[in-house]
Amino acid sequence: MTEVRKVELHHGAATDVGRVREANEDSYLADPPVFVVADGMGGHDRGDVASAIVVEEFARLASEGYDAEHGAEVVAATLHAVQERILAFDTEQRANGADADFSAGTTAVVALLADSVSGPVWLLANVGDSRIYRFNEGELEQVSVDHSLVQELVEAGEISQAAAAVHPNRNVITRALGGSALPGGVSGEADYFLLPLAAAERLLLCSDGVSGMLDDEQIGAILADHEDPRDAAEKVVAAAVAAGGHDNATAVVVDVVGLVHTEPYDADAQRLSLEQKLGALP
Amino acid sequence: MSETATGTSGAWSYRTGDWFAVFGTNATVLLPASQKDQVVALWALVDGGAAFDEVLDGLLASGLSRIPGFVLVSTDAGPTRVLLRGQGVTAALTTAEEEVALDGSASHTWVERSVEGVTGLTVQLPPAEEAEEAEGSADLPIVTGLVRVARIDRPAVAAPTAAAVPVASEPEPAPLAAEPVEAIDVLAEEAVPEGLPDEPTVPPVVEPEPAVEEPVEPIEPIEPIEEASPLDDSPATEVMEVVGDPLSDPLPPVPSVPPVPPVPPVPPLPPTPPAPPSATPDGWVTPWDSPAEQPAEPEAEPEAEGEAERETGVEGGSEPATGLDADPDTPAVPSLPTEVPPAAGWVPPPPPSAPGVVDAPPLPVGSWEPVGGAPAAPEPAAFDPDHDGQTITGAGPGVPAPAAPGIPGQPPAPAVTQPVAKLLVSDGQTVVVDRAVLVGRAPEARRFTSSEQPTLVTVPSRLHEISSTHIEIRPGTGADHGTAVVTDMGSTNGTVLVQPGLGPEDLKPGIAVQLIPGAIINLGDGITIQVTRP
Repeated sequence: MTEVRKVELHHGAATDVGRVREANEDSYLADPPVFVVADGMGGHDRGDVASAIVVEEFARLASEGYDAEHGAEVVAATLHAVQERILAFDTEQRANGADADFSAGTTAVVALLADSVSGPVWLLANVGDSRIYRFNEGELEQVSVDHSLVQELVEAGEISQAAAAVHPNRNVITRALGGSALPGGVSGEADYFLLPLAAAERLLLCSDGVSGMLDDEQIGAILADHEDPRDAAEKVVAAAVAAGGHDNATAVVVDVVGLVHTEPYDADAQRLSLEQKLGALP
Repeated sequence: MSETATGTSGAWSYRTGDWFAVFGTNATVLLPASQKDQVVALWALVDGGAAFDEVLDGLLASGLSRIPGFVLVSTDAGPTRVLLRGQGVTAALTTAEEEVALDGSASHTWVERSVEGVTGLTVQLPPAEEAEEAEGSADLPIVTGLVRVARIDRPAVAAPTAAAVPVASEPEPAPLAAEPVEAIDVLAEEAVPEGLPDEPTVPPVVEPEPAVEEPVEPIEPIEPIEEASPLDDSPATEVMEVVGDPLSDPLPPVPSVPPVPPVPPVPPLPPTPPAPPSATPDGWVTPWDSPAEQPAEPEAEPEAEGEAERETGVEGGSEPATGLDADPDTPAVPSLPTEVPPAAGWVPPPPPSAPGVVDAPPLPVGSWEPVGGAPAAPEPAAFDPDHDGQTITGAGPGVPAPAAPGIPGQPPAPAVTQPVAKLLVSDGQTVVVDRAVLVGRAPEARRFTSSEQPTLVTVPSRLHEISSTHIEIRPGTGADHGTAVVTDMGSTNGTVLVQPGLGPEDLKPGIAVQLIPGAIINLGDGITIQVTRP
């Protein structure tokens, strides 16, 4: 755990309600070494609460620490806690007069540092259709695999990747946290990924309000143009809104700056430096 | 009735022993247990319908002196010819006029006799050293096939089953009533159709009964052959012919094949029939929830089916006998439509409880791809169009079937095992193999579940000879249980494995190889991994 703290991470995050929605149901957490984007679903069913629960639970990891050698188990336990809370919330809402099928739900993508034999690595987890990309040596690559209907169609060879982007059912996801009362029920099981830090200079976590509005090329170009992760996150969200803003758009960008051996990451120092950079120092 | 009795059950009967007996349509040859290899060659000859002289040529091809004993009997039209050689090999022929006794030890070469109008023939063979008399005491009917015998009789001595009593009561008179030679020639294939018109009800009932009892037993004595013979399946199949004749079962002997779990080709639901969202989970199989039902069932079911098949075949014995058409060249058994991947170690992805899962995964660790394939595309109208792209859940066919087993994201049993090996990497790292271990210049693991988080081992590679994810070492499953297996993950420059006592071996990408303690894995760039006991 202490070793994890030795990795210096810079990050930026941005979110926007978009041009269509009335409320922003996305939530994010950027609290090194834990980063989360959650996309609440359901509108009437308070997806904003569900996504906020995700962030709250993972914020606890960031503040209280976690067993970095068993990252996947840590994340699984946290997601389980999220599930429990969402179900409890559903029950409470129904008791208070909500419809019998009231069911809040949310996606989640998580990136946190974990330990491996050879040092710290990124542990990534995904439930639903929010995404994790990595940007390395000028190349953007989607790491997570959507739990969505169209993704399954693509994997089954039914439709092409291009067709998936415009498929009428591209909003249907096959796994989610919560959402228990929906027809068929869905699994909250996450897929996990391990990436060496060196192979992921920059990570982008985003909701489908970003990935549904911008293609990989556009995202890659923005990440390449903006060295500061805060700029990159803002520009990505702004571009998604400019491209239509059909959904809430959220982006978290994390850069691995280097391995520092004594000094822990200092968010205040980073913020200060940005203000200095912008010439806005009071 | 008498003709039928002689024909079907009557070709031969035998008592189990250690000699090999090859029963053919035109000739029957018997050889001692030591001549196993020769039996294999003769089997093809005899079963192919070779005549007496032809079989004799084949029998003596390697020289008479090398054969301690044999018996050759012609069973085609014409006089019955019998050749005997060897100590303790005796034959008794019965004709209308006389009894002829022959002894194989009476000549240095062999004893030969040709007899017209034989109505009964018995060949007695020397008992095996470790003879078990009790076992050999039952007379089992056979038409053609390869079995191990101590004694053979023609016509068949009635099977000792109660059902065969009608036949047993008059074994002798039956052949007498018919033209002797003809009676001997008659085989099951011909006899059944003949008999049926005469006695439509009785024969099917009488004959098949012993036959039904039989299929299990005759197979037993054959077993010793199996290791050596390429014709393994044939004897069993041939014996089945006796059984199968009265049956009209056109099926190949399916039940005898352990069915391969039909894993890959779970027919994808066509996306066209727009199923309602709630129904769509059908046809979707995730590897960790499906195998339980897949491999388990076929194991038991076909067996039972086959049993039933046989029974109905017997009862409905009035149908024309087709025989099983067992051909030694094309043993019916393996011809099932199995889609087994060539990699021998391949198993359908078991649930994560089984550690190590795929032994030869061409995919990176944890790439659990959906097995069921194409999910049905729900009808667009099934969803509220008002949502306008708003994310919704639950409709996906890809909903993994598990009703949340335990903690979400935590399948029941861990993919972590007892340590099966220890890896000593030449750069100084030591890694225990109790789960998947990925080794490379910058190893990655994708799409695994929370309980099977692999170990990543980064090794230096100045010249970039080592791929980012070069090899995977994980606890083996199945035959490899308790050991580690190594798989090249499609590395650019390959992997060389040196097992103790063996030469260097290039790993084939995606093919798992079991590791023996002491093995050395060479990744290139001066990096080697030594495998030791945990």
